[in-house]
Amino acid sequence: MSYDLGKITETLIQGKVDRLTELTQEAIDSNAEPAKILNEGLLPGMDNVGEKWKNGEMFMPEVLRCAKAMSKSMDILRPRLTEGELGSAGTLVIGTVAGDLHDIGKDLVGMMFEGAGYKVINIGIDQPNENFVNAAIEHKPDVLGMSALLTTTMPRMGEVVNSLKEAGIRDQITVMVGGAPVTEEYAQEIGADLYGANASTAVDVTREYFAKAKN
Amino acid sequence: MKTRTNYTTYQSPQFSILSEDQKERIYNGMLRTLQYTGANVHHEGARELFKKAGCKVDGVRVYFPSEVITNALATVPPVTEIFPWDGTTEKKITVEKNRSYFGPGPTPPNFIDTETLERRKYLRKDASLVARVCDALPNMGYVQSLGSISDVTNGLADVYEFADMVRNTTTPIMSWSFDKEGCRDIHRMGIAMAGSEEEFRQRPNYIFYGEPISPLVSDYHAIDKCMYCAENRIPQVYSPCAIGGGTVPATHAGQLVVALSESMVGVIASQLISPGTCVIIGGVQSILDMQYSIYSYGAPELSLLSAAHTEVVHHCGLPMYSQSGCTDTKKMDMQSAMEASLSINAAMMSGANFVHDNGYTESGLTGDVFQTVLDDELISMARVIERGVEVNEETMAVEQINNVGPGGHYLYEDHTMNWFREHWRPTLMNRSSYEDWVQQGEKTLKDRVIEKTRDLRDNYEGPRAKVPARADEEIEKILKEAEERIKKEQPAGKK
Ligand code: B12
Repeated sequence: MSYDLGKITETLIQGKVDRLTELTQEAIDSNAEPAKILNEGLLPGMDNVGEKWKNGEMFMPEVLRCAKAMSKSMDILRPRLTEGELGSAGTLVIGTVAGDLHDIGKDLVGMMFEGAGYKVINIGIDQPNENFVNAAIEHKPDVLGMSALLTTTMPRMGEVVNSLKEAGIRDQITVMVGGAPVTEEYAQEIGADLYGANASTAVDVTREYFAKAKN
Repeated sequence: MKTRTNYTTYQSPQFSILSEDQKERIYNGMLRTLQYTGANVHHEGARELFKKAGCKVDGVRVYFPSEVITNALATVPPVTEIFPWDGTTEKKITVEKNRSYFGPGPTPPNFIDTETLERRKYLRKDASLVARVCDALPNMGYVQSLGSISDVTNGLADVYEFADMVRNTTTPIMSWSFDKEGCRDIHRMGIAMAGSEEEFRQRPNYIFYGEPISPLVSDYHAIDKCMYCAENRIPQVYSPCAIGGGTVPATHAGQLVVALSESMVGVIASQLISPGTCVIIGGVQSILDMQYSIYSYGAPELSLLSAAHTEVVHHCGLPMYSQSGCTDTKKMDMQSAMEASLSINAAMMSGANFVHDNGYTESGLTGDVFQTVLDDELISMARVIERGVEVNEETMAVEQINNVGPGGHYLYEDHTMNWFREHWRPTLMNRSSYEDWVQQGEKTLKDRVIEKTRDLRDNYEGPRAKVPARADEEIEKILKEAEERIKKEQPAGKK
């Protein structure tokens, strides 16, 4: 058997979920290095998709389809990749804070992270502070994302940051916040590490952050 | 022969988006959805109520047979009146077919400062400012705050807003709250302004606004507040913010089916609790922008969807809460004026009962009272078109035409004297000569909007001085008690 990384890139851009899963499996069966599939097959594809989205050549439902394909393919690759090889493709726990029922913005962010190769655990809306902390302990995510769409629920995010400190795990986790009324300044004020104005910049900002951290 | 048989002298031009068949079909789509898919209702009391009425309940899911829906629609009142608290009638609202009232919108987090023109957080002082400005604007038929107050105790923005607004305008307010407790405090204030509970029931002086969640969910607080309003005969809106392609189908017909279905849950609850209580549906109907992932408030689809929704809602015999005068602009510019005028004209032509969001900018994230002032003028322009052309002997003026004959002019005619004041007069649009315009400082529309808004801000007092001392004291007392309550309670959004 042989494999074609170009084909993988192309299939990803086309958002063909099942076909991409097949191709990924075939590549592995042909002894392609998993890291090579990720770095030379999938990631260039998602970069291209991101680019096309920004330029108005592709739109959200298409992008999300590609993200889904990426995520399915990653399910196959992840167990075969070492920590180092995984690179930026870590784990994200995301949810909407207590008292807040706004759903779709957080979902979008989660889906875009899947597109970036992340394993995403979406804990849902209206999540009490302790659920964020517990999920952080349980899943040991690289990034903990919190969404708040109401000025009244925004304070929950700062409270979770404090609870993470109390639980002694604050420095093991990158906290990212977002939602329509949330701002960069507010994120800093409450001691979050990252702020994402929308789903695509959230991914970019996270990538940059980890790239800097490495250097 | 002066009279004519079955003759219409006036006909408001109203466009029609949907055919009778299409309306019927969407209505049936709603019946099918509520029967086979049902809706989630996160409130045990409400589920009990539905169960007793004949609905099937499975966990939080409630399935509504069509007779439960048609029974509810049968008791919806054909007409409801809402009264200014000062006993006057000029600003009275009659919720019935073919009457449209425009107003601002509720709760964005930001506000355009009227002095600096910068975007900042919405503050307590803004609520009374918006109330006063709207009190002075002739085309604002009801009032909302254009923001949620950030500088009061967390969880009491709703109560402070109403307390301040109701004392600064006699135009009926459309209020909102986090939960039933806020709803109750607001209601106590409404009663204080009316004089007594009995008088409130006779002459309700405000409307309450609540939202189900697309797709097909009524969360605890939303339905709890809806039930409270029904029990207390508070006229209410129960309508979602449906996001086309996001929380509802991307096809307009699909969006209408879902939006209608989730709203119907509130209609049924309200009518089961208190048959004949006023309930209005509709809501924000627009699309998710698939490039920028924002909910678009300037999209032409907003106008189309809202107008079509109005027809379907009226087809159900319900009053419609529609939307116009809003924009995705970040700062007042040509885009805001254009998006607002298109949606205002469409809402006017559709004959919706309440039309909100006049003054919403940045896709609902920033309230801008300058936009409301501009919209006020646009609404009055659209009303001219909506008024249509009156055709009778007097207006056809065949007699006068004969008097003047060919050539000549009409400026001396009594007929002209009697009628020319019917022509619309601009307050913001400029028609002066170039020379006059230069002499008066070359002001643009934007300059004039700012000037007019600031003039109202600084010089229009509003009804604050007329508030009865007893009501004033009662409101202050309610605010104090609300502070006490919030210390003990866990309001929505503050768990
Ligand atoms: C749809 C909507 C609802 C729906 C939500 C349905 C659903 N299934 O999610 C419903 C009807 C439930 C709702 C309810 C309410 N809402 Co609402 N809602 C909106 C609306 C119109 C759109 C939100 C949306 O989905 N946008 C589209 C998505 C894609 O964008 P997004 O959520 O902003 O997410 C993007 C970014 O913010 C960011 N992001 C989001 N989360 C995260 C997280 C991380 C980690 C990162 C990095 C980034 C990020 O990335 C996302 C994708 O690009 C906004 C107005 C607005 N323009 O935002 C009001 C709005 C947020 N709601 C508001 C209010 C007041 C309410 C209610 C209190 C109304 C009431 N009177 O009952 C209730 C509260 C219910 C509750 N307890 O939560 C206000 C908030 C005001 C304030 N001061 O905070 C707003 C601004 C509307 C307004 N102008 O009044 N609402």
